Amino acid sequence: MIRLENVTKSYSSEVVAVRDASFDVAKGEFVFLVGPSGSGKSTLLRMLNRQDRPERGAVWVAGRNIVDMPAGRVPHLRRNIGNIFQDYKLLLEKSVFENVAFAQEVIGRPTHVIKQQVPAVLDLVGLAGKEDRLPHQLSGGEQQRVSVARAFVNRPLILLADEPTGNLDPATGEGIMRLLDRINKTGTTVVMATHDQRIVNTMRKRVIQLDRGVIVRDQARGVYE
Amino acid sequence: MLSRLRYILRETGDSFRRNATLTVASIITAAISLLGVGLTLLSQHAFDNLLARWEGGVEMIVFMNPTATPDQLQLVSDALTAQDQFIESYTYCDEKCSLEEADRIFAGEPGVRDLLTEDTILTQFKAVPTENTDVELLRQVSDAFSELPGVYDVSFAEDQISLITQLQSFFGFRLLLLSIFLLLAAILLIWNTIRTAIFARRREIEVMKLVGATDWFIRVPFMLEGLLHGIVGAGLASIGLWAWNSQWTTGVQNFPDNSGFSALVVVDGYDQTVMLIMLAIGALAGAIGSGIAASRFLDI
Repeated sequence: MIRLENVTKSYSSEVVAVRDASFDVAKGEFVFLVGPSGSGKSTLLRMLNRQDRPERGAVWVAGRNIVDMPAGRVPHLRRNIGNIFQDYKLLLEKSVFENVAFAQEVIGRPTHVIKQQVPAVLDLVGLAGKEDRLPHQLSGGEQQRVSVARAFVNRPLILLADEPTGNLDPATGEGIMRLLDRINKTGTTVVMATHDQRIVNTMRKRVIQLDRGVIVRDQARGVYE
Repeated sequence: MLSRLRYILRETGDSFRRNATLTVASIITAAISLLGVGLTLLSQHAFDNLLARWEGGVEMIVFMNPTATPDQLQLVSDALTAQDQFIESYTYCDEKCSLEEADRIFAGEPGVRDLLTEDTILTQFKAVPTENTDVELLRQVSDAFSELPGVYDVSFAEDQISLITQLQSFFGFRLLLLSIFLLLAAILLIWNTIRTAIFARRREIEVMKLVGATDWFIRVPFMLEGLLHGIVGAGLASIGLWAWNSQWTTGVQNFPDNSGFSALVVVDGYDQTVMLIMLAIGALAGAIGSGIAASRFLDI
């Protein structure tokens, strides 16, 4: 599903965010990217949805090298990738329903499909009955659930999560992880950047560890070291 | 298709509501800027009208000898008619008419007036040159007429024509420059205000990009919003322009005819043309400015 081949990305001559990174992620796999802040986890995720492009190497997503993908094709790539962020990136003026429906509207889903699928996914993430609330009327955990619902509503092949539990207390974070695990079991590939040791050790999924942009460990059913 | 249209209209409407302050700022900026452009265009036109009125008053006068025969008068009359590319119209002021004029001119000098009788007064052909006749050409025409039999002298208001030509060139060029400057300022102000409004919504654009919206899908509601800002602003500017022009026209038309300013008005429907120009500029600057401003945040 995902393949990186000798990928290098730098932001200046002194700052190399990712250096010569290579790995494969199979369809339906759950992968943790771990490492301290500034180790290159977020940069890797940004390269997977073409927010960033490497100077060298190839990034294959769903069978296509996206490094040289024409700009006009990028939206179609992103429709197959869900994104979850630490700060949720919800639209504050839109209700819960509208935030999730937004992801379907922008790709031209008909209204009757939206009216059917959005309540279903809100039910899945445990937000049934809160469709009309605005983000500021929700707790942090609930806001992240809206973000997960928005990322998953189009049934993407890949889900990229950048520190999704970073702003949440442990119990709420566990709830989000259960949700991501459940989504992963539907066949969606999940790549999650985190430095939450407890979660990584509990889930025992594949762990790719980065240190100053270099992959120093790639371990199946790994733990945080 | 229908759902996209509904989405675009809803997003545009929501944006108007959510960003009310910036929307109002954008519309007011467009209105004031376009009013500036409109008033300059109107001033330019009113000034052209004034110059045309002054120019229309300039005459070439062919003075005829008191002894000129009817045939000689007819010859001059025919020559004036034949020169219709230079002479717009003419009238003949006979002995009676010329004496009446002398009464006015020499009202303060009765000694001089008493010397003039029907037998000694010079009769006159008063000719109005066409609009495009320049001073040099008119001089040649007058020289030709002075050679005709029975003609005593030919005179015309050379200085006045020179002044009008100079005024037209001076004011025409400067008002044109001012119009262009105000037009550019209007476009930049509208664009900048819309850019500020879009900057406030960059987060929304980022989310749209990340969920797979195409650039045009994102741009169109912003362009529609900018278009509406521009049109509403131009509409307000048109109302302002109409009110100003009505007040100005009423005021200036009350001036006496001989004040020289009664023609400094726009009454030939040109104000409606200016309103259409303002609407077109407002709509284009709004839509294109929004499209460009939104593009600034699409590189995600």
